[in-house]
Amino acid sequence: MRQLSAIHRQWNFGAPITALATDHAGEWVAAALGDGSLKLLPASAEAGDAKTVKLHNGISLSLAPDALPGCFLSGGDDGKLFSIDPQADAPALLAEHKNQWIDNVASSADGKYRAYTAGKNVYLLNEKNEVLGTAQLPSSAGGLAFSPNGKRLAASHYNGASLFWTNSKDMEAVKLLWKGSHLGVAWHPDGKILMTSLQENALHGWRLSDMNEMRMQGYAAKIHSMSFTAKGRYLATSGADQIICWPYFAGGPWGKGPLTLGSSDARLVSCVSAHPKDELVAAGYGDGMIVMAPLDGRMEVLIHPPVAETGSAVTGLCWNKEGDCLFAALESGYMMLFTVESVQKAVAHAATNS
Amino acid sequence: MEQIPVTVLTGYLGAGKTTLLNRILSEPHGKKYAVIVNEFGEAGIDGDLVVGADEEIFEMNNGCICCTVRGDLIRIISGLMKRARNFDGILIETTGLADPGPVAQTFFADADVASKAKLDSIVTVVDAKNLPQRLKDSNEAEEQIAFADVILLNKTDLVSAEELKKVEHAIRHINSFAKIIHTERCKVPLDQVLGLGSFDLNEILKHEPDFLGAKEEHHHHGHEHHGHHHHDEDCHDEHCDNPEHHHEHGHDHHHHEHDHQHDSTITSISLTSDKPINIDKFEAWMGDLRANQGPDLLRYKGILDVAGSGQRLAIQGVHMMMEGSNLSPWKENAKRQSRLVFIGRKLDEKTLRDGFKNCAAA
Repeated sequence: MRQLSAIHRQWNFGAPITALATDHAGEWVAAALGDGSLKLLPASAEAGDAKTVKLHNGISLSLAPDALPGCFLSGGDDGKLFSIDPQADAPALLAEHKNQWIDNVASSADGKYRAYTAGKNVYLLNEKNEVLGTAQLPSSAGGLAFSPNGKRLAASHYNGASLFWTNSKDMEAVKLLWKGSHLGVAWHPDGKILMTSLQENALHGWRLSDMNEMRMQGYAAKIHSMSFTAKGRYLATSGADQIICWPYFAGGPWGKGPLTLGSSDARLVSCVSAHPKDELVAAGYGDGMIVMAPLDGRMEVLIHPPVAETGSAVTGLCWNKEGDCLFAALESGYMMLFTVESVQKAVAHAATNS
Repeated sequence: MEQIPVTVLTGYLGAGKTTLLNRILSEPHGKKYAVIVNEFGEAGIDGDLVVGADEEIFEMNNGCICCTVRGDLIRIISGLMKRARNFDGILIETTGLADPGPVAQTFFADADVASKAKLDSIVTVVDAKNLPQRLKDSNEAEEQIAFADVILLNKTDLVSAEELKKVEHAIRHINSFAKIIHTERCKVPLDQVLGLGSFDLNEILKHEPDFLGAKEEHHHHGHEHHGHHHHDEDCHDEHCDNPEHHHEHGHDHHHHEHDHQHDSTITSISLTSDKPINIDKFEAWMGDLRANQGPDLLRYKGILDVAGSGQRLAIQGVHMMMEGSNLSPWKENAKRQSRLVFIGRKLDEKTLRDGFKNCAAA
């Protein structure tokens, strides 16, 4: 493994970065800050100064691509839901819930639907911001995600997850039951498997065709980050000192062990993001280190943050559309951009010097 | 980053929690608090960072039957911690009916919360006038007293000296270790309720000479000490915060007025040992105790003289969750004595005493 400093560009936003996201097309990147503002940049090697949008009177609790092309959704602890267009003058207020937090936001990749949760309530909206339906969950929502084709919406909560059909107005839930508090949700790219992360440092999953369930354990911490590789062969996860990648082929994950990638360090993986095209995973650690790890056993690349930022956890990782740019955010408020070129240059430089 | 201190305010409906909360928020201490309240907007809270919480009790699937946490607090504290730090502490006001157990356990069981926040103290406000009735008709009032580090015995102006004595006795019977402060309208110096580090093993050691004081020996050996009642009369100052006074009250009442007991099932038991402790035996004993009686063990703390170690071992726990660490060496010439206290339901003093005795190194 090589240790590099391969940063193409860097920004210091002056407040903790709590989340990072791209729009559905992967052309813009947004960073939510601990002061309630949002930073917006083109997701390319030419990214220059970030545009600042003042958003929440508090902070953004959830950031996701919006249904509108090039736009983002943000839900805050001020009870406000915004749609943010990087090209517009001001964010659009979509909803407001006094004295509540908007903990989760999501939109469907086909641009038809938006959804958010406030406490136990889940709201389904269309791209015109008309409320299509609401439902009450058994507890506050842990996570929220549309299936890849936008036909279903999954919300996780205490003792399971609820599935809703987006074309059905009555919001009748199909209940997936498993004891425990379910936090994050992730859909397999084929839309046939739903995964949740649990309070108890474990994953649970359901294959919806036959309700066959899966359980993955052995993590050192809660799994805050899950990312399926482009073709869905692996699910990369945080929560251990290595990147844990579960196989979803050849009968897996049932009865299969995971691939473990990345340095076995004292610090845990805090964030993962699969490459949009190749079988490659980027992972960030609790101390600011970043690993780019191919799943086929090729050499991993380990990248140090600048010395001054070392020790600050990676809180967000995002690839752009082409997968030639990787944005990495640190809790300290520092954001880095790596490009294929900047990483290759650093690798070549390290090779000649060794 | 330093963990942010969290103070939990409990107390039965009408005891004066909101009054205490507003007092904390309005005094000119220059500090900013985030406040988590149970019912939003019922009585006005003056702070600008106030979050409403719906109590969500989650069982943990970790094989621990009494291991419950507050999902709402995990969610809210994790959210608050994302902010660029603009507050100095968190205050949690629980509902009048809340069980403090899951609240306390959240700070042990959730690693994300534990990494960013630490439980400072549980402060319970009780109403001197209505407490006797509350203890009769609810379990919650009793549990809130049992879990407390500090008890504000409030509305002392509404009761006679005799009633006050009785109510304090009832409190001491449940929890003989908390600091009791007599108040009217929750008027209390804030340094008596905030920043106490009651769950901090280092703090437990700092107070080691007085930790459940040397006076605690009365508890076990001093049944002949009958003569402390005069202290009660000294104590009607609403600001009385002399822990010694309270300790004295406690011992007397606890041991000599059993005929006044209500139907409370929660009691406090304090154990001491002058013989060094065999740590393996101790861990095995505590392990069994927690496994068999975890749900009934509400809180426990101890400082142990471990055989073969120059260090003092501090332990503390809530239900089945226990933590401990070797912290600092015994002072030169200090009397090395192990002390352990339990607050819990259906505690059998003799069994516990024998069990602890058996932990002595051979």
